[in-house]
Amino acid sequence: MPTTHGFRVAILGMVLGIVVNVAGAQTVSPEIHKAAEAKAVSLCSTCHGPRGISTSAEFPILAAQNKAYLEVQIDAFRKKTRAEKDAHDFMWGIAGNLDEAIIGGIADYYATQPAAVGHADNPALVAQGRELYDKGIGDRGIPACATCHGANAEGLADFPRLAGQHAKYVAKQLNYIQSLVRAAPVMHGIVKDLTPGEIVALATYVQSR
Amino acid sequence: MLDRKASRSRYSAFFACLAAAVTTYLILQSIGPANAVPSFARQTGQECVACHVSFPELTPYGRYFKLTGYTIGKRSFSSEGMSYVPLAVMAQASVTSTRNNHATDPDTGDTVSINQRNNSMVFCCASIFLASKVNDYIGGFIQWSYDNLATSADGTLGGHGGIDNTDIRIVGKYAAERAAVPDWIYGATLHNNPTVQDVWNSTPAFGFPYTASPLASTPAAATLIDGGLAQQVAGIGGYVFWKKTLYGELSFYRTADGAFSILRQGQDIHTDGGVAAIKGYNPYWRFAYNHEWGPHSVMVGTYGMTIDRYPSNFDTSTPTDHFRDVAVDAQYQYITDPHVFTTQATYIDERQSYKASYPVALASGAGIGAGPAPANPNDKLHTFKAKATYYFDRKYGATLGYFTTGGSADAGLYGMDASGNAIKPDNNGYIVELDYLPVQYVRLMLQYVGYGKFDGASTNYDGNGRSARDNNTIFFNIWAAF
Repeated sequence: MPTTHGFRVAILGMVLGIVVNVAGAQTVSPEIHKAAEAKAVSLCSTCHGPRGISTSAEFPILAAQNKAYLEVQIDAFRKKTRAEKDAHDFMWGIAGNLDEAIIGGIADYYATQPAAVGHADNPALVAQGRELYDKGIGDRGIPACATCHGANAEGLADFPRLAGQHAKYVAKQLNYIQSLVRAAPVMHGIVKDLTPGEIVALATYVQSR
Repeated sequence: MLDRKASRSRYSAFFACLAAAVTTYLILQSIGPANAVPSFARQTGQECVACHVSFPELTPYGRYFKLTGYTIGKRSFSSEGMSYVPLAVMAQASVTSTRNNHATDPDTGDTVSINQRNNSMVFCCASIFLASKVNDYIGGFIQWSYDNLATSADGTLGGHGGIDNTDIRIVGKYAAERAAVPDWIYGATLHNNPTVQDVWNSTPAFGFPYTASPLASTPAAATLIDGGLAQQVAGIGGYVFWKKTLYGELSFYRTADGAFSILRQGQDIHTDGGVAAIKGYNPYWRFAYNHEWGPHSVMVGTYGMTIDRYPSNFDTSTPTDHFRDVAVDAQYQYITDPHVFTTQATYIDERQSYKASYPVALASGAGIGAGPAPANPNDKLHTFKAKATYYFDRKYGATLGYFTTGGSADAGLYGMDASGNAIKPDNNGYIVELDYLPVQYVRLMLQYVGYGKFDGASTNYDGNGRSARDNNTIFFNIWAAF
């Protein structure tokens, strides 16, 4: 597969992410763990489901998500730097009332929950999505998603887990990133040329993992 | 001639609506999107759509917010100072167009207007809310409303303010070790309107229509639980919600006097018949099965109450009339981005036992004080209401509703028709409503109410040739909350 400039940037970002992640890894005290679990059970579960497995595709599954990624995203909601409509309507307020310690605890809680079981709705779309995910589209400079998100979409370092995630949510986020509504510079460079059909295929595939 | 007048009136109404819409648009353009939102939104930092399909209909998260005592989010006042103002205001302006605004005065035979401000823009009404969490266990809201079109006891029109819906809660949650969701949510509520404390919008207090014309004629008969005690009683109750599946509540209602008089502040307690007076503590129950999966949620339940009511609020030494309301209700919601579909229905059966009023009416031909003078010792009244709503992108909504009320003919309560037969309390009709929310805290609404029956009959219900459909109403409303 040809290596593009954007791809090299992505790999550099991944390496940096691993370094930052390892350097920033902190253990959660028992008190924070208890308080964070209480928050997750009594509040977050209302939308994100029991143990972070939401049944509504409007809300992302958080179970087994990378801790560092969760921390960064919750912090982005808190700082209002992640500003798509759902983030604005729902998460700015929720995250705005959390401090860093609780954010770390909540991220740790969800990172350690059993992952959601993937389910496939459309075998043809899954096959198309798998091809894109595993190999990318070389002649259009689109790298394989597996490079950063893992061979089984399990996520790597700061790159989020996608396996089992609601296809509707994944597609919506890809559209947000593609249209620069959600600020994710590396991802924007990678997904900017994906067609709507390719986005749906990719989302359907990762949901099946 | 009348047809031409009616046609001109409809044109006037259309242009009034158009002017209102343009005005609203210009105001919104000048306001911009960053203005204040109501108090609970400031408390949680979330937008209206988190809790409401469209005010006041609650989403599953909105129900959870209410059941947990409005305590999600931050306090208004803390050791760090005031983080937001725990107040919100709500105001409405509207145009009401009655299909036939002329009726015959039964005494003089003159033609009179049903609605004095037909086809005119009126500003009515406005509310201010004190709404906030107090701490992690206590929260609530108190609504105070000003009705500039209120009618006083002597029939004159004039502004009037008073307490409106109010609900204050003390709550708790319990989750077992390693539980994934709260096992129990429990709480106590103090409120002033039966079912205002309920979280499903199939019950009367927050049931459809969520906004109705302040000027249109409406049918006379309604069950007691359907607004008959609103802002006149104090409700004290406790509830539990188990695993977000089974809900149970037991409340008791008493007259809002003495220490509870704040809960009926502004009501006309100085006129016989101005408020309800009930004996002791009267039970209300509510049980519901709730299930949420994916974007779906469904509820099937029952609620009801028994009330011993003094015929006259001026005389609590008399026996009481007994009312027993039993209702079943259901709700289904499908909430996604961008499609939302919700539907609610309820059936209320009321048995009225005029143990106090009937013997007196039989003997004297009049009730006790301003109380009823029923011709029957026992009457029945039943109401069925249902509606279905679709919203696209939480901005464009359409609702279709149906309502019907029926019951025993009673000449003492409802009068007699031209043939000398006792009139029934029957009414039925439909509501078609279109909504547009340019921003989440502003709603432009066009509502049409059509009647098949009105106060007992389809035609000549008033003995002077007026038909039920003459009361059909076009209602344009601008609602805003800040």
